[in-house]
Amino acid sequence: MSKKKTSAAVNMGLPKSKTSLIANIKKFWPYYLMVMPGVLFFLLFKYIPLLGSVIAFQDFSVFKGISDSPWVGLKHFKALISYPDFRRIFANTLILGLCKTVLIFPIPVFLSLMLNEVKNLKLKKTIQTAVYIPYFLSWVIVGGLIFDIFGMGGLFNNIRGFFGLDSILIMQKESWFRPIYVLSSIWKDAGWGTVVYLAAISGIDPALYESAAIDGASRFSRIKYITFPLLIPTILTLFLLSIGSFLELGFEQVFNLLTPMTYSVGDIFDTYVYRVGIQQAQYSFTTAVGLFQSTIGLILVLSFNKLANKFSDDGGLW
Amino acid sequence: MTESIKDKAFQGAITFILCILGIIALIPLLTVIARSFSSKAAADMNIINLWPVGFTLASWKYILSDPGLWKAFFISLSTTIIGTVLALAVTSLMAYPLSKSNFKLGQILMLYVIMTMIFKAPVVPYFLTVKGMGLFNNPLVLILPHILSAYNLAIMRTFFKQFPAEVEEAAMIDGCGYFQMLYKIVIPSSKAVLTTVGLFYAVTMWNQFQHPIMFIQKTGLFPLQLKIRQLINGGSDFANIAAVANVNYTESTLSAATVVFAIIPIIAIYPWLQKYFAKGAMLGSVKG
Repeated sequence: MSKKKTSAAVNMGLPKSKTSLIANIKKFWPYYLMVMPGVLFFLLFKYIPLLGSVIAFQDFSVFKGISDSPWVGLKHFKALISYPDFRRIFANTLILGLCKTVLIFPIPVFLSLMLNEVKNLKLKKTIQTAVYIPYFLSWVIVGGLIFDIFGMGGLFNNIRGFFGLDSILIMQKESWFRPIYVLSSIWKDAGWGTVVYLAAISGIDPALYESAAIDGASRFSRIKYITFPLLIPTILTLFLLSIGSFLELGFEQVFNLLTPMTYSVGDIFDTYVYRVGIQQAQYSFTTAVGLFQSTIGLILVLSFNKLANKFSDDGGLW
Repeated sequence: MTESIKDKAFQGAITFILCILGIIALIPLLTVIARSFSSKAAADMNIINLWPVGFTLASWKYILSDPGLWKAFFISLSTTIIGTVLALAVTSLMAYPLSKSNFKLGQILMLYVIMTMIFKAPVVPYFLTVKGMGLFNNPLVLILPHILSAYNLAIMRTFFKQFPAEVEEAAMIDGCGYFQMLYKIVIPSSKAVLTTVGLFYAVTMWNQFQHPIMFIQKTGLFPLQLKIRQLINGGSDFANIAAVANVNYTESTLSAATVVFAIIPIIAIYPWLQKYFAKGAMLGSVKG
């Protein structure tokens, strides 16, 4: 009796969607309980830090806290634009992003087209096993391996020595930082990058190849006129998503390849923010840098995700 | 299908190139293994390439008797195991209601999750927030920030969506509650996706570097990756250790042994990694 009464009262006092939500909670309350830890996680680790970004508009000090630190408006954003260090790291980030898109992105495509031509399955599996391994190693380890190979007495300098050339420490040379970035990315991730392409290739109708073979098409023209064209939607989707994450170059990779001698070319947003923001405690200014980066990231992701959805039905991230 | 000689040559050439690439992919590993088993004299003469020169276990004996390295190893191992279990619990708890169409908050919550992927909070306020929670120099910082990822949540949700509704309805009639449903019926029949997502989390936590370097400053709390970076970085302890006379290792052979030490666990579970990560890459491309 009393239950009926309250539900009638609720019906009168609240808009319909709210009453149905309350009914939904009543009926499926365990669902609401289940999502609690997850909701709390995103609140604590994603949304509260986002709110904390207001310190970019303050002269924040840890002792005063957000409530008592003075507000300074766009001071840090104005400083950022005229700051030579900022231009340098912005340029470095763009150049490495460009390297990622132009030089690193296409490699898995070629690799998977090639892997698909290996007809001996055991051999194919062995090659795949070998090229996938580096993907699972941390950047600390990969950094360690690279410094080992290119260090004094490393493989690289031994080979140079064999040809009568002097040893050089390329990890300390500015001109070598970008090539090392590109090569280390390829070594670590290109093999693994073939997984999605190989899956797409295995989905191609074998009848297409059979009729092409009957028409006398060579293996190369079968790749050129069947496999590659049918792979283009996948490539395009992954390409657009990769441009969407243009500025995400990976703190761990760059940080583990960087030496103080290569800051001028290798310092990017992420490493700069870590060094100046966290180690030197210039909180407000580096938060402004971070907001700038996130905003550009947002624009890139939104626009290229839209494009990705346009090109294939479920190409985008959402 | 008859293959022309030209086609056979084409395939042969490609196979050959791929074999070379496969070997190149392994060379960095081979050379570091070789160095870890080489003698001081060989390291000083710069003659170690792909094979140990003056085979010795001196470097290995030294690093394996270093309690600091083992401590870091166990910190990484325990946080990875606890973290993975916790992550699977939190992720499946959230993914299950999100896979149900009769859960009214589902749409809004998905938006709530996706928003965090497209606009990322800057690192500095993140650092200050997490530090403010008391996680600075606290091993929990190796676990808590990693117990949920939007990507893994999406994979699990997709998988749960495919669970046959009839089974759940039948269980419901038998008086099964929602929590029981998840833990006694849905989870036991989702082993493949749990293994995949579990391995994703485990590798992330085992390999993590950014959180440790931001939040852990006490050397006694260093996880493995941070310890290794400290050990192999130029001007580190190894330089002093190896400067002593009468030892058969150098800074570079000790570094090499440390790097190999950290690779071994990954190689040990590599067959599973390869199998389930490939599955995950497929699942990830299916959205629901």
